[in-house]
Amino acid sequence: MLKQLTQQDLFELFDRLAEQYHLLMPTLLTDGSRELMPWPGSKAAAIDGIIPSMAGEPIQRKPTSHFFPQTDPLVFLKPDGTVSVPQPPDKPLALCGLNREDLAAVAFVDRFFSAEPADDVYLAKRSGALLIGLSGHCGDGSHGDHFLPLAQGLCDIELIAEEPNEEKKEQEKQWLAVVYNAVGEQWLSGFAAGSPQRLELLRHKSVTMGHQQQELLQQASRLLQADQVPDSFWQEISSRCIRCGGCNFVCPTCTCFCVQDRTTTAGTQRSRIWDSCQLDAFMREASGHNPLGTELLRTRRRIHHKLVDDPKRWGEISCVLCGRCDRACPTGIGMVAVCEELVRRFTS
Amino acid sequence: MNGNKPSEMNATLTTCPYCGTGCNFYLLSGSDGRLSGVEPAAKHIVSKGRLCMKGWNAHAFVHHPDRLSTPQLKRDGALQDCDWDTALATVHQRLQAIADRHGPDSLMFFSSAKVSNEENYLMMKLARAGFSTNNVDHCARLCHSSTVVGLAETLGSGAMTNTLDCFDHTDLVFVIGSNTTEQHPLIGGRILQALRHDTKLLVADSRKIRLAQHANIHLRHHNGSDVALINGMMRQILVDGLEDRDFIARRTENFDALRDSLEPFTPEYVAAITGLEPQQIIDATRLYAGADNAMIVFAMGITQHSHGVDNVRALSNLALMTGNLGRPGTGINPLRGQNNVQGACDMGALPNVYTGYQQVADPQARLKFSTAWGKELPETPGLMATHAIEAAAAGSVRGMLIMGENPMLSEPNQTLVRKALENLDFLAVIDIFPTETAQLADVVLPAACYAERDGTYTSTERRVQRGRQAVETPGDARADWRILCDLLQRCGIKANYESPAQIMDEITTLTPSYGGISYQRLEGGHGLQWPCPDADHPGTPILHQEQCTRGKGRFSPTRYRPPKELPDEKYPLLLNTGRTAVHWHTGTMTRRSHLLHREEPHAFAEVNPQDAGQLQICDRQLIRVSSRRGSIQLKARLTERVPAGQIFIPFHFAEGAANVLTNNALDPESGIPEFKVCAVRVEPC
Ligand code: SF4
Ligand code: SF4
Repeated sequence: MLKQLTQQDLFELFDRLAEQYHLLMPTLLTDGSRELMPWPGSKAAAIDGIIPSMAGEPIQRKPTSHFFPQTDPLVFLKPDGTVSVPQPPDKPLALCGLNREDLAAVAFVDRFFSAEPADDVYLAKRSGALLIGLSGHCGDGSHGDHFLPLAQGLCDIELIAEEPNEEKKEQEKQWLAVVYNAVGEQWLSGFAAGSPQRLELLRHKSVTMGHQQQELLQQASRLLQADQVPDSFWQEISSRCIRCGGCNFVCPTCTCFCVQDRTTTAGTQRSRIWDSCQLDAFMREASGHNPLGTELLRTRRRIHHKLVDDPKRWGEISCVLCGRCDRACPTGIGMVAVCEELVRRFTS
Repeated sequence: MNGNKPSEMNATLTTCPYCGTGCNFYLLSGSDGRLSGVEPAAKHIVSKGRLCMKGWNAHAFVHHPDRLSTPQLKRDGALQDCDWDTALATVHQRLQAIADRHGPDSLMFFSSAKVSNEENYLMMKLARAGFSTNNVDHCARLCHSSTVVGLAETLGSGAMTNTLDCFDHTDLVFVIGSNTTEQHPLIGGRILQALRHDTKLLVADSRKIRLAQHANIHLRHHNGSDVALINGMMRQILVDGLEDRDFIARRTENFDALRDSLEPFTPEYVAAITGLEPQQIIDATRLYAGADNAMIVFAMGITQHSHGVDNVRALSNLALMTGNLGRPGTGINPLRGQNNVQGACDMGALPNVYTGYQQVADPQARLKFSTAWGKELPETPGLMATHAIEAAAAGSVRGMLIMGENPMLSEPNQTLVRKALENLDFLAVIDIFPTETAQLADVVLPAACYAERDGTYTSTERRVQRGRQAVETPGDARADWRILCDLLQRCGIKANYESPAQIMDEITTLTPSYGGISYQRLEGGHGLQWPCPDADHPGTPILHQEQCTRGKGRFSPTRYRPPKELPDEKYPLLLNTGRTAVHWHTGTMTRRSHLLHREEPHAFAEVNPQDAGQLQICDRQLIRVSSRRGSIQLKARLTERVPAGQIFIPFHFAEGAANVLTNNALDPESGIPEFKVCAVRVEPC
């Protein structure tokens, strides 16, 4: 199904979605961050002058955090021995505005948490959730003409921003909406049909864009698999790691967590919280022995896991090139930075 | 229970509660009013979408079950729940009774670098106007009091001269006595990034810290030999003719006295004191003085000595001699530890000054404040925190109000501190957790943590920024400013502020350097750097540009004095104390944050393998460390990070408290204790 939407149509759609979903929209926050925040409703948006920030830099927080949050309650144990689990969500989530990289990350994490034994805590939030992708002319300027590559089926609905028209105002912007499944169809059936020729044009543009960095990851992956990267390289890189954990916390395909118990007189709340493989305690055994006991081993593992281990297990590199770790690393040793250096130094 | 609504529905921009770097992040919370996580502010001028491990976990302690939620009063030897009115009336009446009987100066008020500017202001107002004493101080006494004294004398202002952005355009960073990547991680990260763009790095630290691995030169001089090292460098600069003669002539005074004082500090003489090779001193000098723009960065390794003020003077002399002042990428840059230690000093939570460093001894300043507050004010400067502990042990200080500090673990010589606090007629503590200090209190008042109240904080680069309330306080706990307002009212001082913004309005009318600061201007999210004298002033990233705050920069000669207690036959090792990357001070918050606690769960001592071999101890073995003041047990961690002859113990851990061992030898001018040097003995358990 292909539809054509005006800004007003879009707001109408959002209002309707917000009745059945917790609808989160890209929103500009005080400091200039773009984050997924609750849609206030078009009336409130008009009054407060809030417009969803549909174009701009990538969303700061990884969207997978809405299904796998930093702190996630698992069970509550009462002193009398009874156990309760969190109630299922009152409404499913609808995340709007995910770009191709973020959608690829959700798909990867879906696969990870759905593998047997399936992770019911994740699935309770994820099942029934709606993903609205965003592409077309609404990027951050890093891909030429503010163009985001098309998502092509990784979401339920894809909104594609049409080329901005100098004469038209922002409010008059037009959107193509590609619907990929029945749920999407249900929401968009009432709107005007879109032009398949326009979509073809945009698809063509998207395909020719590609992702230059994908080749870089492949090259790095091959070098690592061929054992072409000596430990001295990892020593050098890891000596710059200040153990902030940021690279893991921002990574939309990182899924490691640890368990935290908090006990009051009312009982014990067990939650899972994001973990980081850059921490010394990540694998430390109770005896104190640590198979990942040096920063060299930990840094090497961080890159290896995405570029060597995951391809073996899942058939694909699990870095989706969202750029977050390179932005979050205080010392400049995120995935792309390390791969650039690695490929430069060890490609003969 | 966190239930059926998404847990990241609200995002509240606030300032990190840990170090003085001043990162901003969003606290994420659900509709159940519980924090679920943290996201760095992508566009904030300091954080730039980054945080350290502590920042990433800053939400984690907030809902900890140990949070204090009800006022408590000691009855029959035990703390028992009571109502607010009883608690506050007791605090007021007991402190007042002590003041009536023994004089106002028998009271001591500990303010806190963890609370807001507004709260520090109210605390010092409570001491001065409410109880007529200047006995008010806070933990800056233990960290940068030497800096405030040393830099005020030489430059006229005790704060970081430059701004964090300067790390991006400097030719050289000279880090001395600062483990920057662990204690100010995002500043350490910036230094590491700068090295990628040809910035040079000179590190002087006895421990092989991370930055040392990246340094062009790493000097492992003996702890406490800094004055000799810096004087030696300055002498060498003059020998090599690398001084900035024009700057010295135009912008400084007392150069001749300095030059004369440097004469004895030949490379050989300095080598003998510092344990370095003479050539290392010459090479380091040429590296520093050869840079067009060089930044000096220092922290506790410089200040926490019985000659801490002299260390700071020496560094200031070095910067002045090379003209490294008042320009981008230069300066003398003390890194302030706590998120609001700069602000607590600015707000006059110090025994000798009101806000903006206006002297209590100055009749004009006194008149200004007494007119504004409607109360006669005492004129003699009060007691420093470290002296107050001694005075309490001796019986001349009898009542204390401590807000958000834990001297039982943070002050040197714990046996003395315990004696002092137990000796008091009355002790009241305002805190968020039942600390070791709160256990000794007669009244405990449960406070709001940073995520539960509004306020402003001033970071190490003098940036005043907003903290914002994201969630409600637990139980009956109250924001510190509300508690202080109540006590002020009970003392008959008008304090009916409706919000911290109103308190800031009062502060700005009394404080020239904060004159242009208002909540409205801070809304934008990037803060303002003082001095910011009026509403149109954009703030001041770099101090001392045309001239120094005091006019001419003053060279202040120093002579080398060894630390008060050096290793000897009975106590053959040197004890160095400090912190780890994942814990904060006395661990009240970080040891209640799962990931941080898990990373460093136990007290430990870094021991050089060479010493370990001689002592026959192995890695992770339990050892006993003893000094003349006490003895603790903890695990050995064998590492080359410490040089042979030295052990290092972080002071976070109550069960292996470094400050049982440390020496309360104080700098005569700043009252700072010698945390970085004392003599100990190590034995296997
Ligand atoms: S973000 Fe950078 S500094 Fe932080 S843990 Fe990851 S690699 Fe280390
Ligand atoms: S560097 Fe300091 S201010 Fe920044 S996140 Fe870490 S502790 Fe907080």
